[in-house]
Amino acid sequence: MTSYLVAMATFGTIYALLALSLNVMWGMTGMVNLGLTGFFAVGAYASALLTVRLGMPVAVGFLASMAVASCVAAVTTFGLMRLRDDYLAIVTLGFAEVVRIAGENEIWLTNGTDGISRIPQPLKSTLGPDFNTFYLGLALLVLAIVFFLLERLRLSPFGRVLRAIREDAQMAAVAGKNVLLFKVWAFAIGGLIAGLAGALYGHYTSYIVPELFQPLLTIYIFLALTAGGRGNNWGAAIGAYVVVFFLESTRFLTGILPGISVVQIAAMRELLVGLGLLLVLHVRPYGLMPERLPRLEAPRAPRS
Amino acid sequence: MKSRLQTTRRTLLQGAAALGAGVAFLPRGLRAQASGPIRIAGLVPLTGGGGAFGPNMSLSQKTVVDEVNAAGGLLGRKVELITEDDQTNPEAGVRAARKLIDVDKVSAIMSVWASAVGTAVLPLCWENKVMMLAISAADTIAELPHQGYFVRTQPHTALQGEQFAKFAIDTGTKHLYVMMPQTPFTETVIKGITQICQSKNIKVTSMIYDAKKTSLRSEVDEMMRTTPDTLMIGGYQPDDIVLAKDVFRANYKGRVVGFAYGMTPQFVEGAGAEVTEGMYTIEPIPAAGSTAYGRLQKLLKKDALDTYTCQGYDHANLALLAIAQAKEASGTAIRDNIRKIGDPAGVKVDNAVDGIKLLAEGKKINYEGASGPCKFTDIGNIREVVFRLNQIKAGKILPA
Amino acid sequence: MSAQVLQLIVNGVVAGTILAVPAIGLSTIFAVLRFANFALAGHMAIGAFAGYVANAWLGLPAYVAILAAFAAAGIVGIVSDHFGLRPLRNYGALTLAIASIALNLVLENVLRFGFGNRPRDYAIKLVRDWTFGPIRIGPQQLENLAIAVAAMALIFLFLALTTTGKAMRAVADNPILADIKGIDPDRMARFANFIGMGLGGVGGMLVGLDTSVDPLVGFRALLSVFAAAVVGGLGSIPGAAIGGLFIGLAEELSLLALPASYKTAVGFLAILIMLTLRPRGILGERGL
Repeated sequence: MTSYLVAMATFGTIYALLALSLNVMWGMTGMVNLGLTGFFAVGAYASALLTVRLGMPVAVGFLASMAVASCVAAVTTFGLMRLRDDYLAIVTLGFAEVVRIAGENEIWLTNGTDGISRIPQPLKSTLGPDFNTFYLGLALLVLAIVFFLLERLRLSPFGRVLRAIREDAQMAAVAGKNVLLFKVWAFAIGGLIAGLAGALYGHYTSYIVPELFQPLLTIYIFLALTAGGRGNNWGAAIGAYVVVFFLESTRFLTGILPGISVVQIAAMRELLVGLGLLLVLHVRPYGLMPERLPRLEAPRAPRS
Repeated sequence: MKSRLQTTRRTLLQGAAALGAGVAFLPRGLRAQASGPIRIAGLVPLTGGGGAFGPNMSLSQKTVVDEVNAAGGLLGRKVELITEDDQTNPEAGVRAARKLIDVDKVSAIMSVWASAVGTAVLPLCWENKVMMLAISAADTIAELPHQGYFVRTQPHTALQGEQFAKFAIDTGTKHLYVMMPQTPFTETVIKGITQICQSKNIKVTSMIYDAKKTSLRSEVDEMMRTTPDTLMIGGYQPDDIVLAKDVFRANYKGRVVGFAYGMTPQFVEGAGAEVTEGMYTIEPIPAAGSTAYGRLQKLLKKDALDTYTCQGYDHANLALLAIAQAKEASGTAIRDNIRKIGDPAGVKVDNAVDGIKLLAEGKKINYEGASGPCKFTDIGNIREVVFRLNQIKAGKILPA
Repeated sequence: MSAQVLQLIVNGVVAGTILAVPAIGLSTIFAVLRFANFALAGHMAIGAFAGYVANAWLGLPAYVAILAAFAAAGIVGIVSDHFGLRPLRNYGALTLAIASIALNLVLENVLRFGFGNRPRDYAIKLVRDWTFGPIRIGPQQLENLAIAVAAMALIFLFLALTTTGKAMRAVADNPILADIKGIDPDRMARFANFIGMGLGGVGGMLVGLDTSVDPLVGFRALLSVFAAAVVGGLGSIPGAAIGGLFIGLAEELSLLALPASYKTAVGFLAILIMLTLRPRGILGERGL
């Protein structure tokens, strides 16, 4: 049971990173991104290819995953920033599909639908069965660092501009902010975190394949962020663990329903995920931990 | 502001505690495998792309377990089947496998279908000494360092590709057109077919299509323009249906042949009898004399069974018989004994109940499955596969 | 123009008209309620299953089954919107879009719970195509074309001639002004959902005729349908019709230049190119 909890906590931590990534883009800046798994995939592949094909150390893979996913996010979104939210939602959904299709067909690079297996797991041979605990610690450390930096970012002038863009992009532009540039930055930072989450995933399970990156995962992350509280980093992180906990506990709950077939149980579980998200939206539209805006202090009058 | 935050945290914790309490009260749990029921698991697709197959695989596993329990169980213990949904997705599959291995402490994970899920879950199996009995056909899986904790009943793709080349040669085909979606074995199959066919001067053209499209008219047009006399359809059930309908509409006059796992009885039902009339399928079958298939037909009360249903049945039988042979319920016991229950000198059996009885009497057995003879090579691939050519006539898949 | 290109154009028009039907549904809802409703996929599946029950179980002819698909998806559209989405209207378009994704998951799994994942087929006989010289077209394709065109024509007439239709256009054009004029926004929302999701249901059945009926039937076509509506300009009905044709043609003609395995990506590329040139789609918005 303990090893199961450790494994689920690791998945929860990876989900938490994804939720933080979405929080920068959607929660803080107001740009919806239904293509989150696309950036997750890019990061996972960047690290896997470097470490498996070129034999580079895992640390290099992690750094590369951030750099590549961040660049891809900045470049692909540069052209999309003029789009209104609804269009952005649909285009980003399409983006993730294109990443998946390219992953399946560009076999020379990605090994296609076979996927990349035997991705190195750091210190696995030395640690043996303790690897899982170690990796959870590593993932938590990464999460803590990302969280700390994002909190700093949120409270910085940069974070204020992002929120200003979210509330009223035109007003931010009038105030002399280069809205486009800030939006690209927000996507680049979000992409970086999603890419890092991808690398963490790949080096944990040691196997990635395009089929991993399905829209359902993005829905889970939206559920996490919505449940936790959009705009709130604490909400994003805790929401992610709640979602994993919720997804896993439905496994056990459905076991006590007699007289229905296995496919009906599976349908019930997905149904519960959908209903759960709807319920949270209805009861707590701003999440369980709504965003707390930093109090602005009025500038003091200059002393003479 | 502060008090508000505290309440939200409290609500959150209360919610979590409530769910946690619910989990704690559930019957399954932490008892070790040495006493209590013997647990084996089906990790099958119930939602997502493979969702059409999982339910039947799970059903046939359940009939095996029910029969064994009704006959008094195994090693004096009850057998418990736990089914989890892999959602046809490796991420969900790994989470489900974690639960099966760590919480349920199962000895075997059976009927993993998608190759991607199989590749993702296999490392967990060998690290935790749990046996995997899989379907996943990608050639690369068996080459992983799985220490023997892996067998599969689905013939790997290199074997299957040869059969299509053989079909082309036997039917006097001059130009074979291969249409397949992108799968882990697409490249291998096409390469294998091309190699054999070219040595016999048969022209081979191939196209990889997008399995998600709702119409493949233009793709079929392109195929028709090259006037092939044999068309091989290499997809899974959903895209095979779309393709078959478009091939019918286009009035293609040549032979059509496909994998039996794509052209299932459900495929015939989904595309219709008229559309599928005369199409060929290539199917791995039990060795002559095996009675398991007929037995499963009766158990499930169905005329026609797809190969996955049969493989699900075989997995459950193999796992339980290996445990009976070892007199011990563990993944390692299954690994070390799964080849012993296929002893050519043993008494032929087609189900776990008879086999358990014979093993208890100290006899040797030879399990012949519903999907094939179920004999495995050292790396877990199926050996001695017999293939049969079927033809669909009036909505029924019959031996050609 | 070579026969091959001509054939691809014919195929593109046929595929595009099928896409146009649910795309118009999506745009109708968007025009009145101003959010992208992802639950369209689930409603398409409901329409496909309703048509299946009417046709295969009750033995009703195809055109009655189409009406059943429209009615069932339309009614579910009203009900699911009333309980699932309406209370969230004040929280903005994005919250509604997210909620509609959740709603879609619910609808899809209600169908899975009831019908399972097994692919099903209508009791409609498949007919071989006709050939005119080098060009091939099927009577069923023409029927689908006719159904799609008739559905579009009826919607246009409804919007142009009836009081309710005019009121809906007024809401789409200027919701505040419409409110002042005393048009009940809830009533308009119900109409928009009935018509929009109803058309989605018809689209689902048309897709189901070419593929098979299962809970994912709408989801498979969703990206292309959204691409069609976006290219045409969300909220514009003529735009959605043109967008459908555009995506249908783009996907088929892409075979001349791209491997067939990249077909799904074409819709995405089409959106990108269109929106770079015209950020509000071909016909712009509010053309209801």
